[in-house]
Amino acid sequence: MEISASKIGNVAVAVVPVEELDASNTAEFKRDVTPVLEGNASLVIDLSRLRFIDSSGLGAMLSCLRQVSAKGGDLKLCGMSKQVRATFELVRMHRIFEIFPTQLEAVRAFQG
Amino acid sequence: MWPELSQQERFRAVALAVRDRLVDGMLATEERYRRADPKRVHYLSIEFLLGQSLQTNLVNLGILEPCRQALTKLGANLEELESVERDAALGNGGLGRLAACFLDSLATLGLPGYGYGINYEYGLFKQEIDGGYQREKPDNWLAEGSPWQISRPQEGCLVPVFGRIEHGTDRHGAYNPMWMDWKVLMGVPHDMLIPGYGGRTVHFLRLYTARSSHDFDMRIFNDGDYFKAVEQKIASETVSKVLYPSDAIVAGQELRLVQEYFLAACALRDIVRRFEQNHSGFDEFSAKTAIQLNDTHPALAVAELMRILVDEKDLPWDNAWKITQSVLAYTNHTLAPEALEKWPVPLLERTLPRHLQIIFEINHRFLQQVATAHPGDSRRIERMSLIEESSPRQVRMVNLAIAGSHSVNGVSAIHTKLLKDELVPDFCQLAPDKFNNKTNGITQRRWLLEANPLLADLICSHLGNGWIIDLNQLRGLEKFAEDAGFEAQFQKIKRANKERLAAIIRDNVGVKIDSDALFDVQVKRIHIYKRQLLNVMHIVHEYLSLIEDGKVPLAPRTYILAGKAAPGYWLAKQIIKLIHNVAKVINQDPRADRWIKVAFLPDYRVSLAEKIIPAADLSEQISTAGTEASGTSNMKLALNGAITIGTLDGANIEIRDEIGEDNIFIFGLKAAEIKALREKRTYLPREFYDRDPRVKRIADAFASGLFCREEPGLFDWVGKVIFDPADEHFHLADLPAYLQAHEKASQAFGDRKRWMRMSILNVARIGKFSSDRTVMEYARDIWGVSKI
Repeated sequence: MEISASKIGNVAVAVVPVEELDASNTAEFKRDVTPVLEGNASLVIDLSRLRFIDSSGLGAMLSCLRQVSAKGGDLKLCGMSKQVRATFELVRMHRIFEIFPTQLEAVRAFQG
Repeated sequence: MWPELSQQERFRAVALAVRDRLVDGMLATEERYRRADPKRVHYLSIEFLLGQSLQTNLVNLGILEPCRQALTKLGANLEELESVERDAALGNGGLGRLAACFLDSLATLGLPGYGYGINYEYGLFKQEIDGGYQREKPDNWLAEGSPWQISRPQEGCLVPVFGRIEHGTDRHGAYNPMWMDWKVLMGVPHDMLIPGYGGRTVHFLRLYTARSSHDFDMRIFNDGDYFKAVEQKIASETVSKVLYPSDAIVAGQELRLVQEYFLAACALRDIVRRFEQNHSGFDEFSAKTAIQLNDTHPALAVAELMRILVDEKDLPWDNAWKITQSVLAYTNHTLAPEALEKWPVPLLERTLPRHLQIIFEINHRFLQQVATAHPGDSRRIERMSLIEESSPRQVRMVNLAIAGSHSVNGVSAIHTKLLKDELVPDFCQLAPDKFNNKTNGITQRRWLLEANPLLADLICSHLGNGWIIDLNQLRGLEKFAEDAGFEAQFQKIKRANKERLAAIIRDNVGVKIDSDALFDVQVKRIHIYKRQLLNVMHIVHEYLSLIEDGKVPLAPRTYILAGKAAPGYWLAKQIIKLIHNVAKVINQDPRADRWIKVAFLPDYRVSLAEKIIPAADLSEQISTAGTEASGTSNMKLALNGAITIGTLDGANIEIRDEIGEDNIFIFGLKAAEIKALREKRTYLPREFYDRDPRVKRIADAFASGLFCREEPGLFDWVGKVIFDPADEHFHLADLPAYLQAHEKASQAFGDRKRWMRMSILNVARIGKFSSDRTVMEYARDIWGVSKI
């Protein structure tokens, strides 16, 4: 899974390139996002291509947040579809992530 | 084209044409509701015993005759096509049929409402009889699809189950439990349209099918482990596969718990989604939403609504709880301990971990409230706790439902009294205003207008047709109770109905019966508390009196019984076998030929009830007092002119009050007397045997093997039941009074004028028991909804 990060100022922005993040590709996602997590303290993950996320996908997101937080960094999310947002709300993960409509707003939140 | 179609295809064509009309009505109704934005009722039930729909839809749309004429022109017969339709048997008995009657009344009364249920692929099993024993066969009612269902995949919802809680903190440092590792079910709604009488209002009953998600299906082809993926797909779709066939007994399996959650979750998702389409925020949610829980099967709605409001919508707990209680209301249908649902805490922990947390929190706050009201009363706390401290601990669903609802109702006056005084007195003390009675009712559209068109026509010709939407207007028949002309027509109609049933009995079970005999009918689920055994004892008494004493009955009797036993209910299945063996002996005895016949009609269901009930003369409602919460076959039979022989139990008491003591045969111990016997442990059944030769003869007949010559000892269990001092149903205590009541009934039947008068007065005075009245009471007292 190709996950590369671009930079907007100091903030790295990585786009999840798949439409579904679930048990079939979570391991691959975690493996391929690790270099991005390790290399960036301020990170925005863009989920705008994501149509569906299941419990294991959410677990992977949580794992990303913990990895970044452990190094004193922060991770924000953006671009969620209604369905993906509903899934985050179902498990109360919207309370631990800051979630923004667009990349720009998420990046600005780091600066604010 | 038409001549080449099979009957099934013709039925489907007619149904689809009718469905078009229903869709038009539904769209118009929804538009009316959209403009008015009224408060809406959502009736959650794990069962809806709908029966057949074609005739009901034609009658309620007012197109029965045009349809009949159109089909006649095509060379088809409407009644034949109606008989082709499979019953939608998505229910076991009274609770499911009540839900179906309520939907009819909601639509007829124009009260904005929806039903929510599960779209079982297999409904209640088909009952076959083999050597006198019940054999269950699958009821694949959707094998050829149902023309009445409209699939709505775009309104599907995802339902998580299983998993675990990940304990964390949120961005502000507060405790934040996260529900992880769940499996996803998809609920796909299939709507069945429910027209009210007159066709102005058409609601829908939303039945959910469990599917694995489309995305999951796509992954099957991408995933390496094809068979594992298919297994998981099958597991998902099992949730809506089959209705649990236990009536009045808890089915404690994990699948049933998942079904119950699936129902609550799909319904609430839909309710919240619809609300949010037109409102922002939840301030108005309780002003616009009423949810009725039909028994505790949907009671997880308490926790699920809290979860949605607190977890997803970020409402503070107290606010969410206030909304939940304002919205939810609970109907209790039973006091029997074996029927009260409890779920083991470990099972809930692995199936619905977040809901268990919520239930614990609800319990904690609730018990604080109890402790404040009753300081130092630890026994009360223990009784009222939502958690029973057994091993393993159990969640008491009745307590959860009561705590989470603003209204708790029983289904007859005596049942509600017993509910308040005996089942949950602590809850009643804490919140007396919550408790209220809503005596059950039945829809006169199905149970008189459609099932008994001849009687309906007679009534219309004398009173007009106002009774169809106002059953109290049947009081107008009182003046015809002694009118010879009316009586003659009434009697002729009853005879015609009896002839129709006699033909069905002859064709189905090969018993030839005399249509002039007294048709003594007991049709309901087979259950020890309903006391089919007592009925059999009377039958045996009549038979032995005839062949041993030469006592010819005052009138020939045909005993008609029907009903299903839960597959795992050994005793109920033995009762069915007993009925068949007794029937065989009696029916084959030439000495009894003119006087007594016994017929058990297999596969009792709504469409069969519609044939049996109009033909009944005597209606057996003989449950042990204090056990039948209401009953509804009592109402259906009285509506069709059958006279009740019954105990003062359930709605029998109110039927007696309405119809008058002279028009009903009441016998037996009252609920308070039964309770006293039970508590004082003074019941000695042997005394009845020793004192009363009739009782002795009946009991000896079972023990002697008279009814099981080829299988000696087969009915030894009868003696074990009736002679047990711990017999919870006090068969022998009520037997002498029951025999006496039957004597009176026989004498009355011999006096045709008197019998007709009683029969007509039963019809005239049954108006209270319309489900229209019941639903109006719910609307006024519980839901706060009005006609739109």
